[in-house]
Amino acid sequence: MAERGGFGRGFGGRGDGEGGRGGRGRGGGRGDRRGGRRGNKSEEEKWVPVTKLGRLVKSGNITSLEQIYLHSLPVKEHQIVDALTKDLKDEVMKITPVQKQTRAGQRTRFKAFVVVGDGNGHVGLGVKCAKEVATAIRGAIILAKLSVIPVRRGYWGNKIGLPHTVPCKVTGKCGSVTVRMVPAPRGAGIVAARVPKKVLQFAGIEDVFTSSRGSTKILGNFVKATFDCLMKTYGFLTPDFWMETRFSNSPYQQYTDLLSKQATKAILPPTEEIPPVEV
Amino acid sequence: MGEVILAMPGQWAHDYREKADHYTSKIGGLPDWPDLDIPVSGKLLLCDFCGGKLCLVAQIYAPLSMAERSIDERVIYVLGCMKKDCGSNPQSWRVLRLQRCKQDIESKDEPLKAEQPEEESTSVAEDKPTSQSSSVKVCDDEDSDSDIDLDDLAQALEQAATLASNSKKQDGTKHTRKIVEGPVAKKLIDDLTTPVLPCFYIYSQRNSSEGRMDKANFVGGSSISLKEIEKSSGNESEGESWEGEAYEYDKALGADRTYLKFKKQLDAYPEQCFRYSYGGNALFPVANVPKLGACKICGSARRFELQLMPPLLYFLQEASDDSSNFSIDGWTWLTIIIFTCPKNCCSGTCDEKSSNSCRCIVEEEAIVIQDD
Repeated sequence: MAERGGFGRGFGGRGDGEGGRGGRGRGGGRGDRRGGRRGNKSEEEKWVPVTKLGRLVKSGNITSLEQIYLHSLPVKEHQIVDALTKDLKDEVMKITPVQKQTRAGQRTRFKAFVVVGDGNGHVGLGVKCAKEVATAIRGAIILAKLSVIPVRRGYWGNKIGLPHTVPCKVTGKCGSVTVRMVPAPRGAGIVAARVPKKVLQFAGIEDVFTSSRGSTKILGNFVKATFDCLMKTYGFLTPDFWMETRFSNSPYQQYTDLLSKQATKAILPPTEEIPPVEV
Repeated sequence: MGEVILAMPGQWAHDYREKADHYTSKIGGLPDWPDLDIPVSGKLLLCDFCGGKLCLVAQIYAPLSMAERSIDERVIYVLGCMKKDCGSNPQSWRVLRLQRCKQDIESKDEPLKAEQPEEESTSVAEDKPTSQSSSVKVCDDEDSDSDIDLDDLAQALEQAATLASNSKKQDGTKHTRKIVEGPVAKKLIDDLTTPVLPCFYIYSQRNSSEGRMDKANFVGGSSISLKEIEKSSGNESEGESWEGEAYEYDKALGADRTYLKFKKQLDAYPEQCFRYSYGGNALFPVANVPKLGACKICGSARRFELQLMPPLLYFLQEASDDSSNFSIDGWTWLTIIIFTCPKNCCSGTCDEKSSNSCRCIVEEEAIVIQDD
């Protein structure tokens, strides 16, 4: 039984007038009406947000990542992070082949580890497997941007200048690998293995002592343990946070146009005018 | 059957209340009901949750051609409620399938011809508006000839209706002059009580192959080139070797694997307003999906037909900044998936003897998936 959904066919027939007009007149029509430019397909304007958070960011209501972190909103679009951070650098840490045994031999895919960061408190880690190297790298960059977290920095001793090290001793774990980070004085530099050192540099930590345990040969787990450790820096309750929090409205509630606000506009039918008074 | 047709946004309507015909697919605006023996009952147009009026979200002309019969006049209307609390409630959404049941397979042109004589008879008395409107309606250069003819007739009909109902008009000559003076001669539906969303038309596009998706992923840009990767992989030393890696599914802090697949399809065509695939598979953004009901009339399990996508919300919000009195900020859905009866059954009041066969309105089911 051949069933064909006729939605496409509908345009071939009757709807062609509207559809054809829509296809060709698209850029102009929207530009005229809105003043926004839709015919031009430059890279920045191409982002059509999918989530509510994305719509808020695109319209400019949310100006910094910190507002998102404050309410723990899940970031589901990497363009949000692009829009809210400046100079986010990315680097591929490693691409390894991953093999799977099939009946017809081995199937090799590539796994890419990418770390992104701005060197000033924001870092993200992305891992992606794909059949081609380029696809894996692109996918890993996107996943890294989706996983950008804030990193808390503090002082080792005197609170002079900007924070330069982790605020306290924190430890992170992934698989069998545990990574422990200990505050270090200025000038100590990042004392860590080559792989986690890169992550810490991207995070913006200048001085830290690290200690690791477990099978750090599994470098995937090693780098994820470091990342987990950095995630915990803001989870650690220090006396600075003893003050009662003043809760504020989440951006979703803050930027909802309530019906009460709009009620001030009068409802006018489009072509109404006051009839002239008959004398 | 498995192919997916994407609906891309076309031109905005000049006025949100303008009337198109029921062969047009559009988003927003007011619903274009075809000639009905019984007008659409009020209960179907009210929200189940709050009792207010529903507004048209999407009107999709979706004819079917199956082996034994073809249903040319089949339109799907998606209605939603714009009140604050109704947005997240699945009860406040309604999907209506309106079709004309035919016993014999007729050609596609015949329904048009059948309707034209009806409209001609009413417009004979008002031939002045017809001639006036055809001279004014040159706003769109790309109209095809057949479009103008039928639009003129429909416009004449509507003008007759508006002339009759509009109380402020003084006399006949002033009516036609007033309409000519307007910037566009598109007819308006004279219904001011129903909330109206910004209206734009839709054109369809086939979902092309995978190559598109890889390009789409590259929009973010990368500062890495393949040469650098080969260099860095050559830098292995100091006894480091990345061992023991196994395949890993995609995961991010806020997004799981199912959502990332959904987003990948969206990134291929970032402006898709809805996906149409009669009998195909829906694209679910979350793993667990609520259960479906069966068709109320024939009892068969419903099948996927189309799903509305989030860019639609973005376009509507972009447009409604300046004007409307109703806000759709309460809508936070990721997708609305619409399931219809596979047998396209009728409500049972079809009379086989009637030549101009009846039209049925059947309520179908929609699943609203929220964006948490």
